[in-house]
Amino acid sequence: MSDSTIRDGSLAPEGERKIQWVAQHAHTLDSFAAERLSDGALRGRRIAIAVHLEAKTAYLAWLFQEAGAQVVATGSNPFSTQDDVCAALVRRGVTVHAIHGADPKTFDEHLLAALDFGPDLIVDDGAELVTRLHQQRRDLLPRVRGASEETTSGVLRLRAMEAEGALEIPVIVANEARCKHMFDNRYGTGQSALTAILSATNLLLAGKTVVVGGYGWVGQGLALYCRGFGGRVIVVEVDPIRGLEAAANGFEVATMADAAPIGDVFVTGTGSIGVLRAEHFERMKDGALLANAGNYAHEIDVAALAAMAVEERDVRRHVTEYVLADGRRIHLLAQGALVNIAASDGHPIEIMDLSFSVQMLSIHHLARHAQEMAPGVHSLPADVDEAIARRRLELLGMRLEEPTRDQLEYARSWR
Amino acid sequence: MSASTSIVADFSLAPEGAKKIAWVAQHAPVLNAAFERKLCDGSLRGVNVAVCVPLEAKTAYLTLLLKRAGANVALAGTAPGYVQDDVAAAIAQEGVIVFANASASAEEFEEHLIGTIRTDPALLVDDRGELTRILHTKETARLPKVWGATEQTTSGVTKLKNMERDGILRYPIIAGNDAMCKHLFDNRYGTGQSTFTAILALTNMYLGGRIVVVAGYGWCGKGLARRAAGLQSRVVVCEVDPVRALEAVADGFAVMPLAVAAERGDFFVTSTGTHAVFRREHFERMKDGAVLANAGGLDTEIDVPALAAMATDVREVRRQITEYRLPDGRRLHLLAGGKLVNIAGGDGHPVEIMDLSFTVQALAIHYLARHHGDLPPGVHPLPPDIDREIAAIKLETLGVAIDSLTDDQVEMRLRWQ
Repeated sequence: MSDSTIRDGSLAPEGERKIQWVAQHAHTLDSFAAERLSDGALRGRRIAIAVHLEAKTAYLAWLFQEAGAQVVATGSNPFSTQDDVCAALVRRGVTVHAIHGADPKTFDEHLLAALDFGPDLIVDDGAELVTRLHQQRRDLLPRVRGASEETTSGVLRLRAMEAEGALEIPVIVANEARCKHMFDNRYGTGQSALTAILSATNLLLAGKTVVVGGYGWVGQGLALYCRGFGGRVIVVEVDPIRGLEAAANGFEVATMADAAPIGDVFVTGTGSIGVLRAEHFERMKDGALLANAGNYAHEIDVAALAAMAVEERDVRRHVTEYVLADGRRIHLLAQGALVNIAASDGHPIEIMDLSFSVQMLSIHHLARHAQEMAPGVHSLPADVDEAIARRRLELLGMRLEEPTRDQLEYARSWR
Repeated sequence: MSASTSIVADFSLAPEGAKKIAWVAQHAPVLNAAFERKLCDGSLRGVNVAVCVPLEAKTAYLTLLLKRAGANVALAGTAPGYVQDDVAAAIAQEGVIVFANASASAEEFEEHLIGTIRTDPALLVDDRGELTRILHTKETARLPKVWGATEQTTSGVTKLKNMERDGILRYPIIAGNDAMCKHLFDNRYGTGQSTFTAILALTNMYLGGRIVVVAGYGWCGKGLARRAAGLQSRVVVCEVDPVRALEAVADGFAVMPLAVAAERGDFFVTSTGTHAVFRREHFERMKDGAVLANAGGLDTEIDVPALAAMATDVREVRRQITEYRLPDGRRLHLLAGGKLVNIAGGDGHPVEIMDLSFTVQALAIHYLARHHGDLPPGVHPLPPDIDREIAAIKLETLGVAIDSLTDDQVEMRLRWQ
């Protein structure tokens, strides 16, 4: 316990309350912890977790510890770290290196401290630990059996490493499991980004023109939920097939340059940079709202916006107003950071119950099979993915149809 | 008329409250236009106005404009849970007399309402008929000074119509709630959006695929059902009125008695305007972990005392979430203590919705000031031309143009042969 770096241990009771609320709603995780982690595969293992450090992540860390592992937890973004949750986790016996609002240098030290814990398994987000392991802590590489990765953007970095032959451990891309991206990226982001934007602004969505940048899983969820709240949605895409899919889903598709003067709310979820930039700010309406629902804060070019502004001030919690030279006001939410995490409690619990079941079973799979896996990027076995969905449906009290013998035979036949 | 006569929790909170009011001012184009075009014509100069509405930034902005139009304004919240102390402090510093404290006891709160009436208002902006209740029961001597009132809520209008029926009501009331620019938007879309935003912010739970039981399919219920569907949940509607129930069926929702829905629901939201909609017989059948929230006109729609009497353990498990543990181990989660969840657990209705609702109230007050003495005691509608004018201003601020009838079409409508 004394090895931890956190803000204030006395915050533990409030953090404990948050973790217990999660525990009440994480039925899928609980059932797999009881069924699969009880085989002893994690006993004595050292696991490092670098994921947005709030109550849901804390609960995953604690389940690993309950399964006999020694666990260190750190955040994947200093602004999503909740100090009370860190305190409660330390009190539960997990080592923590994370402080809300840490500067980039301290944040980096926390990530390295998590590596210095000497993990043999890693739960990563944005490949923050895996990239540092390969560059700054190469001496620790030999003992690491493998890692799992949570995000789309982390997978991009890992594939780049693999292409250069630089990835020296097996990594299961949990993000590519269907039980992860189909629900977490799409519906989790859709619901939580929408409610975070509305809570932060107290504004009405019905009748507003919402411009969604990107129509990947995240963009699809954003568009669906914004339409569900009465927004008129315009989708901006660079990929023709996704653009066509958006059109087939009943959304207008346009360029950002054309959407900029008509949008009331702009939400990005692309995984790219500079999606909203000076040329767009120049054309936006007075009062336009900007929010980012993608993993990295640079989807909105905040520096360019600040450079254009004659005045910049906080007008409401999580809302920064940039007054432009011609008097127009642009409102940026959560400084361009991931709006659902920075201005709210992140994804819904039941969504993370699925995502973390993927992570948990990925780590379990690595603990049992890492030696048979080559360095590189791997998928979660399809049967594990399906087992998670099957379990969740059971827990919801819903039953699947079983195919008949004829149907199974038909599916196998080719004549 | 100075801040010193006001009763608020803490004047030092004023800067944060002022920021909230400024944000509202930026998003209230209809009220701003109504202020410039009508409220400032001198009709309100020197008139005492009392306002009793959930006291947060939107309400504060309405009172500020009434004050700028020349009125002397006194302001109270509708209940202690519906007061934001920072906003109360900020509006008191603007010279409105404020009687409000978020942590007031029930007795203190009643004193605040009485204090508001003792400013001798000629015009009232009322919510749930609270000020009218005080005037007709505890401060009857002041009744002759009242020109009239406007009423904001469905449940208040019902109460006032009962008073009219019984011959008790002593002044004219404009049922602001019944204006189309009020209930079509505020009750329906305002409640729908803000209730679910508050429920999800408080619980951090996921609605997709879960069963949401909406009790009542009036304007609020329609908005709740629609937004719940927009959040990808399965909606069940419970109603007592056959026409509304049929409407819910036609809108694609499952309809069933609450006794049956109680066993199936994951989330229960009530907006009926009546008492004890969710009660013992339902709590007995609900699933472990069911979430209960009130989005209705009354704080008693969920029978909280019955729930407390059944529970073996009661504790706050997250901010604004009370867990009631029943003898068989099931846990029921009550949001915001059974008070209106969007106000007690969030910032209330969206700004643009209240921009419409408060323009209705402001122009109703303006109408009463100009026609004082013309209207007999009783409940009156807002004149339809004012209602249409408000919608026209809103469309104008949205940059939306609409069509008009051709001369032929106008003529055709006047023919009968």
